[in-house]
Amino acid sequence: MKAISVQDLEVNYYTVKEETFSKRILKRIKKKKFTALKNINFDIDKGCVVGIIGPNGSGKSTLLKTIAHIFEPDKGSINLYGNTVNLLSLGTGFDSELSGYENIFLSGMLLGFSKKTIETKLKDIIDFSELGEFIYNPVKTYSSGMYSKLAFSIMAILDADILLIDEVLSVGDIHFQEKSYNKMLELIDDKKRTVLIVSHSTTTIEELCDKVIWLDKGQIRKMGKTKDIINEYREYAIKLNTEITK
Amino acid sequence: MKKIFKDLKQYFPFIIYSTKSKLKSEVAGSYLNSLWWVINPLCMMLIYMFVVVVVFKSKEPNFPIFVFIGLTLWDFFNRVVSSSAKLVKSNRNIINKVYIPKYILLIVNTFVMLFKFFISLAIVFIFMIIFKIHISFRILYFIPILIVLYFLTFGISLIIMHFGVYIADLHNVINIILKFVFYFSGVFYNLLLRVPSPYNKILLIFNPMATLINESRNVLINNMMPNILLILGWFIISIILNIIGFKLLKKYENSYSKVI
Repeated sequence: MKAISVQDLEVNYYTVKEETFSKRILKRIKKKKFTALKNINFDIDKGCVVGIIGPNGSGKSTLLKTIAHIFEPDKGSINLYGNTVNLLSLGTGFDSELSGYENIFLSGMLLGFSKKTIETKLKDIIDFSELGEFIYNPVKTYSSGMYSKLAFSIMAILDADILLIDEVLSVGDIHFQEKSYNKMLELIDDKKRTVLIVSHSTTTIEELCDKVIWLDKGQIRKMGKTKDIINEYREYAIKLNTEITK
Repeated sequence: MKKIFKDLKQYFPFIIYSTKSKLKSEVAGSYLNSLWWVINPLCMMLIYMFVVVVVFKSKEPNFPIFVFIGLTLWDFFNRVVSSSAKLVKSNRNIINKVYIPKYILLIVNTFVMLFKFFISLAIVFIFMIIFKIHISFRILYFIPILIVLYFLTFGISLIIMHFGVYIADLHNVINIILKFVFYFSGVFYNLLLRVPSPYNKILLIFNPMATLINESRNVLINNMMPNILLILGWFIISIILNIIGFKLLKKYENSYSKVI
């Protein structure tokens, strides 16, 4: 059964160069078109874990954001077959003046949970974050470690059918890093869940993914079984490095 | 249309929670905390009362109330419209991370301002009792005026919010226009008496804020019937503005995160 099918996808950015006012008046402003994704076609089966690799600026994050419905495609279509989708990101909609407790609700509601669901999961979130009494203090008083612990704990309750992950995250101190990494694996391993992972770490992709999509300059360069693609990608990276040193 | 109702139902708890937390976060950390919601408008009114009665020695009856009503309505309109040009940018943190219908952000903003509006209105009513203004059932006509004020403000803000994403200068332009409209809405003076004839009538018909402020005063202070046709006319225009705004947003809202 298919969970995602992407057809002939194209996404463009329009950038305007920052210029002085007089220059803008004299020459008319020229918008530069930048094609972030082009001719993207693929299908993903339900329960499949797919990795997306490629150099910086190849359109990986844009692809995730388009599937998450944050961007509108300029061409083509994305069919999610009625599945719910969520892009994992830390601290969505946080207000630093408010307490951690209130931010759990604020962020959770933005991610599409009802107040009731959050209430039932509240204890788990607070326990997981290990913040204890600090949860009632304003977020602006938190250390960066505490902040990311809380943000991760909210994210960890997500139960969308399709999960989009931009870099597998592990946050906090050594102990929490392991705990959060394991939680991530737990989210990814759920057999009913379809997962897309963007990562620069080939070992992570190798460990987690069934299939890999290799993006290059906004187009799919190769797609297939993890082992084959990753090996080819590594060879390509080595070849590129030796070319540069020459 | 159906989708809008569905979204409203889905996001309603978020709207309420976000409104509450925005209000809370504004006063968080201050000693007087939520008391500021009352102290702020009250002090503003007392200052204006001092200026009007002592400095300008106004002899018109009930003039402080006259000014308070104008100020209360104007403040709501002014605050919402002037913040709408930067609304999408200031919510970058949300828009870049999760899909949300963008007008939800505007609803939250209007609700925050509406809360302050109602507090200010409550103070006006208290002053009305202190000044022994005769209150009759005609006060009910104030309700349709408020509804028109809300939809008018919302419609204008929706459109500004959309163009504000693409034109950074819009925020400054809007603030200048608002200053201009302010002086022609008769917040501090009686448009009908102070502006020479035909212009006063023209302003009272074609400047919606002048219309709404004037009609509110007629209903609340003078116990008069409002000009229902005029109010209805502005209601229809407000609805049209809303439709244009919603269509613009529907078409472009998912491109916003590419620009900001």
